[in-house]
Amino acid sequence: MSFKNTFTYLPEDHEAEAASNSYLMSLLFIMAGLPLPIVNLIGTVIFFFSNRKSTYFVRWHCTQNLLSQLAIFLMNSVGFWWTISILFTNESISNKYIAYIMVLLIFNLVEMITTIYAAIQTRKGFHIQWWFFASLTNLICKADKS
Amino acid sequence: MRKLLFQGIVSIGLFFGAWYLLMQVNWMRILHIQQATDKVQEELGDLFWDVFKQNDLEIKDVKIVQAVDSVILSICSANQINYKNIKLHILQKDEINAFALPNGHLIVFSGLLMHTDNVEQLAGVLGHEIAHIELDHVMKKLTNEIGFSVLFSLTTGNKNPELVKQLAKSLSSTAFERKMEKQADIKSVDYLTKAFINPIAFSDFLLKLSEKDGPINEYLSWISTHPNSKERASYIRLYCKDKKNSFKSVISASTWEMMKEELK
Repeated sequence: MSFKNTFTYLPEDHEAEAASNSYLMSLLFIMAGLPLPIVNLIGTVIFFFSNRKSTYFVRWHCTQNLLSQLAIFLMNSVGFWWTISILFTNESISNKYIAYIMVLLIFNLVEMITTIYAAIQTRKGFHIQWWFFASLTNLICKADKS
Repeated sequence: MRKLLFQGIVSIGLFFGAWYLLMQVNWMRILHIQQATDKVQEELGDLFWDVFKQNDLEIKDVKIVQAVDSVILSICSANQINYKNIKLHILQKDEINAFALPNGHLIVFSGLLMHTDNVEQLAGVLGHEIAHIELDHVMKKLTNEIGFSVLFSLTTGNKNPELVKQLAKSLSSTAFERKMEKQADIKSVDYLTKAFINPIAFSDFLLKLSEKDGPINEYLSWISTHPNSKERASYIRLYCKDKKNSFKSVISASTWEMMKEELK
């Protein structure tokens, strides 16, 4: 779930571009790194650190994206290792496993759609806030003292 | 902060709630996964059985097969085990060995039949192997060793004959995990007790095999695949203590003797 809001200030065009790129970058890494769940997180972390000293708007969106990727990474990691244990150990397929993979697919799909939406909207300079992650980001990411 | 906590709890709840709801659906049946797994087991069982069939002579003498079959039938019917799932094969081989393959194939070497003193001892070993089948130990051992993906590929085109041979050999000559062996021992005692067969004979058989000074030393395959026999004999004896002690003979003494005669 995401909400379109106005930011504390009107971001410049280069800020909107950088913020949008953070979302695009994670999408790119998801596609490149499937099915390894760690790859998208690495991509997002690199982008997050390279924009650490950027403006508030860019930092805010990089942080929101990083937090959501972290949550997805944790969920996907469980699914990934569960699958590996089924393929290579005596763990067997069960309804519990199939249900988990389905939930993963749903959450990943929702995350992907909202990321694309956020990438488009932030490029236009809009401030996209995601359910839960936006509140968490507000707590972590503070405005520049100036 | 309150908003954050509320949203966090709702998000986590949504995740686990969706998982719980989806878990209620029998996906294994809808997606025919159980059928596919059974099919893999069936194919593997046939593949491994072919390896033994090609190398050893199968005994089809009615008197021998029926005698052993009667023991299996008694165990199965007393323990609600589907008798048709157990596919007995007796092979002409001096080694004292019996082992289970996937899909309920139970291989018994003639050496085992020759060196068991009575039908109760044989029932103990058969009960142990049936327990491995019923508890799905064979597939667990195989997937532990090479993984389900390789097993699946063996049944779908990539029938690597060398690997099949190696795995078949491993099933006939290496032990299961200690925990699985103990489970099968205890289960065998339960099976025998329910079938009114004296389970102490199973312990006696293990003790007999552990005394390696005897003339049967060179044929002791089952003991090499089932180590720590003395320890096993003692815990079986201990477990038998509380069991009932009214027993009956599964086959008559004359049938047992006739089977032995036929084997000579």
